[in-house]
Amino acid sequence: MTGVAPPQNEPSLSSSIAVSMKGVEKWYGKFRALNGIDLEVRRGEKIVVCGPSGSGKSTLIRCINRLEPHDEGSIIVNGIELDGSPTTTQDVRIEVGMVFQQFNLFPHLTIMENCTLAPRLARGATVEAAERLARRFLDRVQIGDQAHKYPSQLSGGQQQRVAIARALCMEPRIMLFDEPTSSLDPEMIKEVLQVMEDLTDDGLTMICVTHEMGFARRVANRCIFMDKGEIVEAGPADSFFEAPRSERLKTFLSQVLH
Amino acid sequence: MEISSAEFWGYVRQIGGGAVVTMQLFVAGFSLALALGTVIGIITLSRNVVIQAVWRVYSSIIMGVPSLLVIFLLYYGGSAILTGLFGMSRSIDVTPFGAGLTALTIVYAAYVAELLHGAVRNLPKGQFEACAALNLSAFRAWRHVILPQVARLAFPGLVNIWLIVLKDTPLVSLAGLNDLVANAKIAAGATNEPFVFFIAASLFFIVFSALTMPLAARIEVRFNRGLARVNT
Amino acid sequence: MNALVIDFALVWESLPAMLNGLWTTMLVTIIVLVLGLIFCIPLTLARMSSNRVFALPAAFFVMFFRGAPLLILLYLVYYGFGQIEALRDGPLWFIFGSAFACAVIGLTLNHLAFMVDVVRGSLEAVPAGLSEASNSLGIAPRDTFRYIQLPLAMRYGIKAYQNEVVMLTKGTAVISVITIIDLTAVANEVFERTYDPFTPMLTVAAFYWVLVNVMRLGFRRLESHLNRHHAAEDARRNEKPVKTIGSLLFHPSSWLKAKRSMLVARKEHAL
Repeated sequence: MTGVAPPQNEPSLSSSIAVSMKGVEKWYGKFRALNGIDLEVRRGEKIVVCGPSGSGKSTLIRCINRLEPHDEGSIIVNGIELDGSPTTTQDVRIEVGMVFQQFNLFPHLTIMENCTLAPRLARGATVEAAERLARRFLDRVQIGDQAHKYPSQLSGGQQQRVAIARALCMEPRIMLFDEPTSSLDPEMIKEVLQVMEDLTDDGLTMICVTHEMGFARRVANRCIFMDKGEIVEAGPADSFFEAPRSERLKTFLSQVLH
Repeated sequence: MEISSAEFWGYVRQIGGGAVVTMQLFVAGFSLALALGTVIGIITLSRNVVIQAVWRVYSSIIMGVPSLLVIFLLYYGGSAILTGLFGMSRSIDVTPFGAGLTALTIVYAAYVAELLHGAVRNLPKGQFEACAALNLSAFRAWRHVILPQVARLAFPGLVNIWLIVLKDTPLVSLAGLNDLVANAKIAAGATNEPFVFFIAASLFFIVFSALTMPLAARIEVRFNRGLARVNT
Repeated sequence: MNALVIDFALVWESLPAMLNGLWTTMLVTIIVLVLGLIFCIPLTLARMSSNRVFALPAAFFVMFFRGAPLLILLYLVYYGFGQIEALRDGPLWFIFGSAFACAVIGLTLNHLAFMVDVVRGSLEAVPAGLSEASNSLGIAPRDTFRYIQLPLAMRYGIKAYQNEVVMLTKGTAVISVITIIDLTAVANEVFERTYDPFTPMLTVAAFYWVLVNVMRLGFRRLESHLNRHHAAEDARRNEKPVKTIGSLLFHPSSWLKAKRSMLVARKEHAL
């Protein structure tokens, strides 16, 4: 079964569609990573993507900001089609923020510099404006007092929160999370999930790949289950967990929720 | 420049002879360095303070000094050293080949030993612990578990040393060895064709290096069989 | 003959000549290093380029000048330049004809070929995730290179660069063959005058040793300066020491490849 598209009455409502993926395919050599993906994400929606490893969840969201190029089909983000040209790619990336499993903070820059680099280089902000912006978001994720430190001096949970702040400093309208807590020690997962939950009130569109089912139940509007490169089942969070329809999802949930 | 065909091939034959000498020096030098270096490497793994001190001094000196100097030192001073060491009544002539071989052996044995140390240090400590837990004798542990893995870890470094020794052999021509480079130089001078002969000489080394790479890769694959590849 | 191996009177007498030789050796080394730094990045980018017009010539350059022994390269340049009429009759012959220039050119070509490996390895040692993060923030690829990849590559490549610099310094000993009066040439000259094989050689060896170790010390300070922010990462890195010290002393690419495989294994940990 392919993805569920929210009801769409008029073409002018397409501006309310944040991400639109139609017939997306991707191969790594002979291996089919994405198989006929159809997905529409409305502005402000919170989507959780789950599934066994190798199911293509990471590949899916990495195609949205073109960290991976898709081979067939179309991906339209905020009205911009990802056609592979450097300009559209960069335009899309400015509007889409991403948080990685490995944090990927720049080790040779301070926390503050990590956050101000992109606004200065990609938006042309002045140093003062960038720093004001950074302060705002660093305080938001409750790490403002560490702004002068280097990533290596922070714990994993702190680093990931900085990574979130760094992405937010570009004031994106869509945030992608690629297993943000999978590299964290258990005691730090909560602080990061807390920050992510706090963002849900901002009207941001969030697409999150995660194994944290509790978080998904609390936060997601829609949940998507992927397996072997396909969207097997998708639906509102409640029915997703309470009444899974497909066998594969039932098996997965029974393995994951214990 | 016009030279007769016979002359040209004469030079080519001489260069060929020189190439044989170069190869002999190289193979002998590398093998001896490998053997000596392995022995030194194993001995200097000991924590004995004296051995460590001697090793530190020896390796620091050898690796801080151009190999050309060592070659000259052994060539010019070789007979004096030999008479000093063995106290013979007549002096022994040291040939360029002998001096070069000794120099290459001494210098690169140090690098091999250092390589071994690094490889042993990089072995996961769990391997030693597992051997202890299995109650393997020291000899058995080293022979069946440790050394094979050390060989695997050290192999890329050994390939490097192989290539470097190869490119160091021409230096012995400066001590008078009648090798590839010496003959190429003679030919180039006599025929006034430096490009032809020196590029040809370079190609000899380049091709030889290029040929060792795939061979080394094959050996490395064989070494690594059974090991999982890390997924990037 | 003296009971001592080293004749200190001779050392004292040769000191001026040796200091001159030392100066020549250092001068050549520094000039080659500067030229190397200037050209290594463009050359490496050419080598890594997906455009074959750049990549192929660069690859041939590296293969030739890395595979050919330095001695042959020096002969090639020194004896070869005289054959090129354009150079011989040209206005710059005073440059190209001089032994010093030939030595510098030969050494630089060789050094550059090795530097391509150092730079390439350093760039590849930068974790891909960092470039991805930079790109995903909307930073243009050129800025990603300049602000993220290059600074980090320099940090990762310091050890490999140090090894190459030491190799170069020791390699300059060969230029004595094309009539340049460097340290080794002075040693030879003193030997030919006095037939004392040990004093000049050992003294000159000491000079080289001091030079090499001063460089090593300098690099160690540079490294600790560059690493001052990375205490935690280095502590983690020091648990598992560098792959092989031997290859540390040599071929930069194999060391950095090893480092890369270690980095891959460590991707589980925070940076």
